[in-house]
Amino acid sequence: MLLRGTDRAALAVALVDRLRRAGLPTGLTETGDFVHAIEVSPPLSVNTLYWTARIALVRRQPDLAVFDEVFAAVFADAPPLPLTRQAGNTPARRDDVHVPVPADTQPPADGRGLPWATLPPAVAPADPTDATLHTPERRPSALAALAELPFEDLDATQTELLGEALRATLTRWPTRRTRRHAADPAGRRIALRPTIARARRTAWEPVALVRERPVRRPRRAVLLCDVSESMRAQATAYLHLMRAFTLVADAEVFAFATTLTRLTPTLRHASAAEAIARAGALVTDRFGGTKIATNLAAVLDSHHGNTLRGALVIVASDGWDSDPPARMDAAMSRLRRRAHRILWLNPRASAPGFLPTVAGMAAALPYCDRLLPAATFQDLTRAAHLLQHLNTPAPRR
Amino acid sequence: MKDASDVRARLDAVDYLVDDGLAMAVFLALRLGKPLLLEGEPGVGKTAAAKALALALRTPFIRLQCYEGLTAGEALYEWNYQRQLLAIRLAEAKQEKLSDADLFTAEFLQERPILRAVRHAGPTPPVLLIDEIDRADDEFEALLFEFLGEAAITVPELGTFTALRPPVVVLTSNRSRDLHDALRRRCLYHWIEFPAPARAAEIVRRSVPGATEPLIRSAAEFIGRVRGLELDKAPGLAETIDWVSALSALGVTDLTDAAVIGTLGTIAKTPDDRAAVALAVHQETP
Repeated sequence: MLLRGTDRAALAVALVDRLRRAGLPTGLTETGDFVHAIEVSPPLSVNTLYWTARIALVRRQPDLAVFDEVFAAVFADAPPLPLTRQAGNTPARRDDVHVPVPADTQPPADGRGLPWATLPPAVAPADPTDATLHTPERRPSALAALAELPFEDLDATQTELLGEALRATLTRWPTRRTRRHAADPAGRRIALRPTIARARRTAWEPVALVRERPVRRPRRAVLLCDVSESMRAQATAYLHLMRAFTLVADAEVFAFATTLTRLTPTLRHASAAEAIARAGALVTDRFGGTKIATNLAAVLDSHHGNTLRGALVIVASDGWDSDPPARMDAAMSRLRRRAHRILWLNPRASAPGFLPTVAGMAAALPYCDRLLPAATFQDLTRAAHLLQHLNTPAPRR
Repeated sequence: MKDASDVRARLDAVDYLVDDGLAMAVFLALRLGKPLLLEGEPGVGKTAAAKALALALRTPFIRLQCYEGLTAGEALYEWNYQRQLLAIRLAEAKQEKLSDADLFTAEFLQERPILRAVRHAGPTPPVLLIDEIDRADDEFEALLFEFLGEAAITVPELGTFTALRPPVVVLTSNRSRDLHDALRRRCLYHWIEFPAPARAAEIVRRSVPGATEPLIRSAAEFIGRVRGLELDKAPGLAETIDWVSALSALGVTDLTDAAVIGTLGTIAKTPDDRAAVALAVHQETP
């Protein structure tokens, strides 16, 4: 029998305190549960105590690793824990060198070398660059002028300002019909419960019919951003895009280079600068090589794969992939079967004479609904605008 | 049940094998009277755990399958509107006066699974399984809070029903959506790991009594190897049991290439997975 004559409450509180310092969100309910649990199941061995504590104190699967570590530190001869929040879990990630995939060796003969038509074949036309002189165009604000600069010419404050502006433009999100109903005078179905409740007032004669119609919900969005070496210039701007999406549309966002990092909870932070800094610290494989296909497959296989069903999927990458194109093809076809729409944002697509001949991009293209340029904030705003008008029926009246 | 080992023995008697963690989770849920939230990969026996628990406790099993748009009308209770309308017409025909209380009484109330669990009158509390809670939407989670916290349901027109003996509640989730913290706070939590091959063999032996010992052992090992491959959907325990049942139905005694390929549909559920597993089989036996 372990812990004979111990003050159970003190033990529980001390353990919970350690867990909280290690970053596990354990509350009073859990602590109370733990005290009751060691009362009804006296710890006969460390194993029993472990299971009692784990079941009473841990409420989500990702917390198990931290719990195991703390428990081992307390009840086994493990080295003492560093008492900071983030210090405990910094797994060493393998950081592969950047291996660019060679582009097609044949020069594009007449500008149409590969079958790069998307489902509706659409690419924003490159700006005509005529060298003739013309008067400078007036912009409505300094911000609008900044939005046209490529990301690498912007400093941190400008990026943040533009990020906020981008967030403000995301107002009308595409919706989908749900199976829930809400009262609406223009609805088609009669809501029985409120109708009968209303009939009470008219001697049980249902005079006033209450109607209902299906509730529409914002369609789920999943955003996957490439943060590898070839996307270095765009990385911070894309973090702002991801943050705007998480805040406005409750999107799931992932960053990837060689490995996949989920950034949804991190980017919800109220302060933009803080959120971006934390996200930057979280992505340990930043500016390394790229494995787009592997990471797409990783999202599909993880339990987040179900969030892709019926979702708008936005992939932001230049398509430089060190995985073979066959893998990209397999991953994209799986993604196509799950997602509602797939948009690909490519920072190089606005360059004059751009052709999606990079092997990864060419393999992915047939599965994308749109390929959009994303080299400036103006491009991102345009893409966001297009997204908001995808497939949303006009409100019925 | 006295302690965790008692839980394990009782579940063992109904052919459901549990490890230390699940035994402790079930014991604490029963003793503390708290709902138990089970998570784990698809096919590790989350739903089966609740069924086995009902069998072991010899009490009725009530199941609520969650889906998007699930409302109070399907999960808690509903008024029988047709009968209410008929009652109104009947009262009119008889020239009687109806008061408010006449139409919203227990006789017009239709029980749905959760209210049925609360109002259950038997000697033992029933086991209520709220299956795949992640498939329901956020609004439904909020509906559950009163029930999970106090084992009570409030019907505005009638009052609050509180369970005499709080039902044993098991919730399962496949993590397709993050559950709300308020829901997690009200439950005990257990993550079911996929069992090691030896344990998987033990479980299959119980589920498929007709299969021979070497077949079960080699099948469990084979599944262990297949799970190491890169698959769209790794086979779970449920698939393993299906597969061994299929093999023993075909009268197969040991695992040959032909037998594996012929029954591949029970463990590989997409064309890509089928190709990957078939390739692995060919590579193993050149």
